[in-house]
Amino acid sequence: MKILVCVKQVPHIEGVAVKQDNNKMATLEAFGPPRINRFDEFAVEQAVRFKETLTGVHVDVITVGPEPAAQVLKRALGMGADSGIHLLTSTDADPGPEAVSAWIAQFAGPRGYELILCGSMSEDCMTGQVGPMTAALLNLPYATQVMEIQPDRNLAGVSVEREIEGGAREMVFIRLPALLALQPGINRPRYPSLSNLLRANKQGLEIIPTQTLAQGKVNIRRSGFVLPAHERASQLITGSAVEKAAQTAEIMKAKGLI
Amino acid sequence: MSDPVDIMLVTSCRKGRVDPEIYDLIAFGRRLQALGAGPMGVWILGEDVNEAAREIAHGTGVPVTGLQDGELANYVNEAFGAMSAREIESVDPTYVCVAHTSRGWEWAPALAARIDAGCICAVDGLVETRGRLCFQRDVYGGKAKGLYTSSATTTVITVQPGAFKFEPAAHSIAPNAVTLKNTPCTVKRTRYLGLKQGVSDTSRITEAPIIVAVGNGIGDFENMALIHRLAGSLPGAAVAGTRIVCDRGWLGYNGQVGVTGASVSPDLYLACGISGASQHVTGMRGSGFVIAINTDPHAPMFNEADICIVENVIHFIPLLEDACARLAGNAEQDFIDLKTLRR
Repeated sequence: MKILVCVKQVPHIEGVAVKQDNNKMATLEAFGPPRINRFDEFAVEQAVRFKETLTGVHVDVITVGPEPAAQVLKRALGMGADSGIHLLTSTDADPGPEAVSAWIAQFAGPRGYELILCGSMSEDCMTGQVGPMTAALLNLPYATQVMEIQPDRNLAGVSVEREIEGGAREMVFIRLPALLALQPGINRPRYPSLSNLLRANKQGLEIIPTQTLAQGKVNIRRSGFVLPAHERASQLITGSAVEKAAQTAEIMKAKGLI
Repeated sequence: MSDPVDIMLVTSCRKGRVDPEIYDLIAFGRRLQALGAGPMGVWILGEDVNEAAREIAHGTGVPVTGLQDGELANYVNEAFGAMSAREIESVDPTYVCVAHTSRGWEWAPALAARIDAGCICAVDGLVETRGRLCFQRDVYGGKAKGLYTSSATTTVITVQPGAFKFEPAAHSIAPNAVTLKNTPCTVKRTRYLGLKQGVSDTSRITEAPIIVAVGNGIGDFENMALIHRLAGSLPGAAVAGTRIVCDRGWLGYNGQVGVTGASVSPDLYLACGISGASQHVTGMRGSGFVIAINTDPHAPMFNEADICIVENVIHFIPLLEDACARLAGNAEQDFIDLKTLRR
């Protein structure tokens, strides 16, 4: 079985600072090292588990992004994936789900993957669209928010549980080939192993510049950012940590909460 | 013949019931109309949608088209995509709006890719800037809102439930027409097997007057002891957490607050090291008073809080516990003094 896992490099979200500019718009600045999208780690882990439990599984990992994005492929290889494909973009700008899904579909179409796995969304753009859109472009059955995958005995299909509101689960059977977008918590992603990382550094990646791929129509564009509104008072408590604690306790008492 | 529909709102009907999110979609449709969009119509998919279709058409005055087939008794993305694609082809709307639920978020983007439409998911705001309609949605874990424009002839939008408030008409409204179509639908590659109930009893957190909620900022499982100790010192307090904390196994899933967990409304919600992504915030918006503690001054959780404390939870929680104990101690002292006086 050939598996393709889609991964993305994202900024360190906790280190993203948001500033209001003088035009009612906001600017974002990322501090700290970029990393593999947390949601995608579950997809890599799942693929590696299939490789360990089923026979004849080969795991390819693909990413779309500028040169530094190769790091996330190395990480996935370190976790146990077999080979990495880098759809190399010429700019740092996020191409958006339309372009990303179109490129992944172009790559994957002729290669005959039985299973395509991805995370349920990215931490930065949070669209959750690349999975379902790629499935549609490849005319594959699919499921998102997947919390359980059980391949049937002859690998003709998978029984899947997808998590819905309140934690309930919808159970579906999907014929392979298929695409599954995984929900965090489906497994516990492992750390890359040193021996795998050494192998990853040696073996190299398949690099395909996105300019060499057909450019589809891009309908949706991001025109900028704004700051989210305050839903409540958002009163900032100031002072030393001890003073802040005392003030907070006073407020809790005044409100009759303690 | 009525005016062609410009805004197509797509909803579903399970066991004859109206999905309440249709009202959010209608509210969203009205906002689009206020910004220049044309007439709207509701499409409702299910096995037997007659009653639900009438309820919507009579209650809102919006025309309703019901698409019925046995295959639509339960949600299967393949069926919803195929049925909607067929209708869109004949209606040719500018906007196709679907509720941003676990289901809508699954089938709407695939539909868009299939019919070559634009797609914007999880829209929670609508603004017009420089004559262009911008759809607003959370990015970067809710730290900012992204503004998106579409140049597509048809744009598929998933709308955050609760983001647009439906106002029932003050005066009586003319019920609108219901058209029912029995449209055979074949589902080939996906088979619905059933529904499994969610995690066990969440009453421990749904009934607690105080919730000490913990997020990724707690850093390590060992630090969970701090949270449990603080909760233990506050009468009636329960420990809850975000999805990521449950995924890490630091807390059981029955303590998860958010879209895929429980919705809570305690008197006090103490958010410790929670960044505040919308998936979490959705589950705690009904809380009485909210205190947020986080090292990151840009954490979106602060927008949802009455009181904001920029501190590391690991250092701050013991201090807060002491401060609360001191106040509680004083209260006890006052009480004893009063008794002594009476004597």
